This record gives sequence, C-alpha cells and structure tokens, in this order.
Amino acid sequence: MLGKLLKQEFRATGRIMLPVLGALIVLAFLASLSGSGLINGVTDVPVLRFLMGMIEFLFGIGVVAAGVVTVVIMISRFYRNLLQDEGYLMFTLPVSVHELVWSKLIVALVWFLVTGIVIFLVMGLLGLVLSRTNLVDLMAEFSSDWEEIWSQIVSEGLLASFRKFFLAGAVCTLLGTVCTCLHFYAAMAMGHMFNKHKILLSIVFFVLISIAFSLMTTSLNMAGFSQISENEFLYAESMALLFNTLSRMLWWLTLSELVQAAVLYLATVLCLKRGLNLA
Amino acid sequence: MEWSFRSDQPIYTQLAEKLRMEIVSGRYRPGERLASVRDMALEAGVNPNTLQRALQELEREGMVRAQRTSGRFVTEDLQVIAQTKKRFAEEQIRSFLEAMGKLGLPEREIVSLLEEALSRKGGAASERVSQGEKEDEHGNT
Amino acid sequence: MAILECSMLTKRFGSTTALDDVSLRIEPGHIVGLLGPNGSGKTTMLKLANGLLTPNSGEIRIAGMEPCRETRRIVSYLPDRPYLADWMNVRQLLDLFEDFYTDFDRPRALEMLEKLHISEEMRIREMSKGTREKAQLILVMSRRAKLYLLDEPIGGVDPATRDYILETIIRNYNPEASVVISTHLIADVEPVLDEVVFISNGRVFLHKTTDEIREESGKSVDQYFREVFRC
Repeated sequence: MLGKLLKQEFRATGRIMLPVLGALIVLAFLASLSGSGLINGVTDVPVLRFLMGMIEFLFGIGVVAAGVVTVVIMISRFYRNLLQDEGYLMFTLPVSVHELVWSKLIVALVWFLVTGIVIFLVMGLLGLVLSRTNLVDLMAEFSSDWEEIWSQIVSEGLLASFRKFFLAGAVCTLLGTVCTCLHFYAAMAMGHMFNKHKILLSIVFFVLISIAFSLMTTSLNMAGFSQISENEFLYAESMALLFNTLSRMLWWLTLSELVQAAVLYLATVLCLKRGLNLA
Repeated sequence: MEWSFRSDQPIYTQLAEKLRMEIVSGRYRPGERLASVRDMALEAGVNPNTLQRALQELEREGMVRAQRTSGRFVTEDLQVIAQTKKRFAEEQIRSFLEAMGKLGLPEREIVSLLEEALSRKGGAASERVSQGEKEDEHGNT
Repeated sequence: MAILECSMLTKRFGSTTALDDVSLRIEPGHIVGLLGPNGSGKTTMLKLANGLLTPNSGEIRIAGMEPCRETRRIVSYLPDRPYLADWMNVRQLLDLFEDFYTDFDRPRALEMLEKLHISEEMRIREMSKGTREKAQLILVMSRRAKLYLLDEPIGGVDPATRDYILETIIRNYNPEASVVISTHLIADVEPVLDEVVFISNGRVFLHKTTDEIREESGKSVDQYFREVFRC
C-alpha cells in the first residue's frame, strides 16, 4: 500500500514541483544567455540591457522561490492532505498511519533532493557561462585543475579520509532534512489534537520542540565533542587527520539527529493514531 | 415515481394494500411475474425490506406466490383474487353505509337513492365496462 | 454477528460530552437512520466507527473488530463535507478508489457517472455543489462494502438531487450489507429506512423499526420525532 500512497503523493506534488523546476531551468538558460550577452556587450540599447539585467534578477528570485516552494509543499501536503478535510479520505483508506507518514516523508525528501540538484546544476551552469564565455576552454581548464587536485589528494593519502567525510556529510544532511520534515509534522500533529486554535498551537509546539531539542543536542554534542580535543583541530598534523576529526564530529551530529528523528516520528504517529481530531 | 404514504399506518401495510389493489384491479395480471424487490422498492421509493414484508403478507394471503429461483408471481387462482375483490368491495360498502347512517337516512331510502344513481349512470357505465373487456381481449392476444 | 456494535461508548471533547454511554447493535441487511438534532452526536458516532476519533471509554466494533485497517476494507464512509482534493478529476479519483479498495466496482461507478453526464475529465473544482455531492456518493456507493456510513448525504441539496441520492442508496442495497444514514431531515429519508435510532445530547433513547413506531404511535417517524424533540 505504501507504493500506492507514494504514487498518489507524487501525483499531487508533481503537478506543482515539475512546472516550478521546469520554469527554473528555463529561467537559468535565459539568464545564461542574457548574462553572457551583457558581459560581451551584445547590445547598447539601455532598455534591452535593463531587461537582461532583470532576467538575472528574476533568476535569483527563482532559485529562492524553488527552495521555498519545496518547503511549503512539504508542510502543506501534510497539513491539507492529513489534517484538513482530505484527511477524512486518507485516514479511512485501508493503510496504516506509518504508511501515511512515510509516504509524506519520502516524497518530501525526494523533492528536496531533486530541487537541490536542480539548483546546484543551474547555478553551476550560470556560473560557468558568466565566468568564461568559452565553455570548451573552461572545461579543459577545469579538468586539468581537477586532475591536479585529484593527484594531490591521492598522493597525500587523503582519499580515504575524504570519502569518510563526504559519507558522513551526506548522511548528516539527509537526516537533517528528515528531522526538519518531522519537526513540522510532529508540531502540526500535536497542535491538531486540540479542538481550537489548532494552527496557533502547532506553532507553539514547533517552538517548544525546537527548544527541547536544542537543549538535548547541545548536551549530546558536548559529550561527543568533548572527546575531541581542541588540539586535534587547531594543530592537526595533516589534512587527513583534520578530515577524520571533522567526520567524527559529523557522526556525532548524525547520532543526535537520529535520536531526534526517532522521537519526532513516534510523536507524529502517536498523535495521528490516538489524538486525531479532524475539524 | 415515488408513492405517497399516510403517516398513521406502517408503510408495509400501505404497500400491501396498494399491491392488492393493483392485482384486484387487473393491472397486475394473474400469473404475471413481479419485478424484483429492489426494482419495486426503487419504483416506490421505499426500503427493500419493507417491500419484502408487504410481499410476504400477500404471499400469506395467497395473492402472490414465490418461486425460489425465478422470483414472485401473481397468483393464478382467480378465486383468491375474487375473494379479495369482494372483501374490498364489502369494506367500501361498509364505510359507505356508515356515512349514510350518519346522515340519518333509512335503509330503504339509501337503496332507492343508489338505484336512481345507478340508472342515471347506467348507460355510460355499461359502455365503459364493455370497452374495458375489449381492451382486455386485445391484451391477451 | 452485528456489523456495528457500540458498548458503553463515551466520547468527550474538552468539557463537552459528545457521546454518553452509548450501546447499540446494528445487524447486517438494514438501512438505518441515525436521527437527531444538530449537535446530538451523530457525526461523532460515525467518526468513531471510522477510527477518525478514539473513544474516551467503552468500545465500538465493526464486524467484531475495533476500527483499524481491516475494518476500513469493509466500511464505505461518506463524510458530511466535501473531502476529495479539488484538483483531482473523476478519472484520478476512480483510480484512487480502485487502487485502495479491492471492493470498488469501477464499471458500476462509470455507469452511474455517465447517466449524470459527469465526464471523467471533470475536476472536482469545476463541479457544482450538487454534482460534487452526487459524485462523492457514487464513489462511496460503488464499493461492495459490508457497512456504509453516510453522514448527512442529503443535507443542503435540492429535491431532485435528494431523490437521486436516495434512489442510489436503494439501488445499491445488498441484503448482506447495512447502511447507516445520519440526518436531521427525517421526512425525506423515512420511506427508505427500516430502522431508526434516535439520538439526542449524546444518548441513544430509541432504537426501533419504522413500522414499529408507526404501529405503536400511529404517527410517522417524522411526526413522532418532532413530538419527542418539541421541548
């Protein structure tokens, strides 16, 4: 049944996310064209130059907007689909509450990932075009630079440390995103158990959770980081050691995120199961 | 087309009454297969269980017989139909007589009034009857 | 086994008691009216039966089970409000119902929709209020469920739509299933019901067949109801 829920969820979110991301990509191409045009002085007509500048500006807005839309979709799908009138359908389907929450979470994560990748790519594209107009030269230069960096990494035996660092970073980012989603979900699920002031209470719970977790993670991180002496950081003997230390810190963060995610998930499911109170 | 019901009696008795009337008046012919309970319930706009109950009452009276596989049929026993018809007629006459009694008319006067009314209507009524019979014959062929 | 059974069911919202020690049995094969004034606890009872609320005490069972994933397979529920995502069109909704409910009879739904000239491309958003209510009811009644729980299916619709809805309920009647219709518009549904449950201030105070009420009181259920609730 989770598969069917995911299908529904992608259908509901895709109709907004795909056009938004498509528009961002189109905007990126336009911005690249007009940007290189501006740099190369294709035109002196003030109006055109103004319009081209506007496109650059719009692109900047578009990047921010795409990020915002992804967050808003994550929140509103949970709110509208589960806690408003559509909840009457969703909670009477023969599916478990776990499946409902997972379907929302997985789809939100996928969109965060896709939006992240798209933003990274379009920014990269624009950066490339604006910094150098000759893409071929640039690519050649970039690849020779890369080879140089790479050989340096390999020669210094940094590869393993790098790999660890990136793995830790990726897991930490992923779990951080999971925590963010579940933070919103749990706060809304708690606020909507009450008969009145559901939204206000959701916000209150959001803040309360933030405070509770910042207290918890501070102590947890202190415990973790205290094992890492300052010297390890400031006077690391090599890059490899520095990255190893950083990885360890990331794993500690990940652990605290894991605890948070578990608590938030259980709270969300429990509230939806026992305390559901649709208006 | 929904049927209308009086509020002072159970719906099933009113349904049974209505169905009896349909059979006695010949609208449902002897031996005719009745529509399914659901279809009849839909036509009347009533609960199928209520209609079922009305039909069961008619079954008990022998007006309708059920065959397990093929549904319900109006009885072919003309005597049962005739008896019911007679009962209907007697009921009508009784209430008619009651009303006349309230008017304080003596029996002899009632009879003469009735005869007068019948003879005035006589020609037209007998014509109507013979026409009806003709139509019946058409229906049968 | 009763298809729906409540025993000593109580539900409170804060300081107000929506259902107060309700015990009730509904057997298969009946069309039952859950009748009561606004705010008497009808919607709460149906939400409890669907597991949308959790009782404070007592229990409610569907075919012997507490509301859960298994009971949702056999219960078809029409809430008292528009509950379908308004961006969806009819085809997407049919897909959804077919996907999740194994007892959904798509050809039957299509036949009913076609009769009303509701096209598969039509979005919920584009429908009039009456059409939306009919579309919702068609989806709900096209399931071959064991228990239909219809919350105010005829509230606020025009007489033609009301007749259509009642007709649809009779047309889909199945002797093994039960239908519970909650409403305060008794005169409209009375001929369709064979049992009624009167509920007031969260308490059930009468559960009889419509014919029993008419036989014993010499009044229609509607008249009887008005009399009981005069004060």
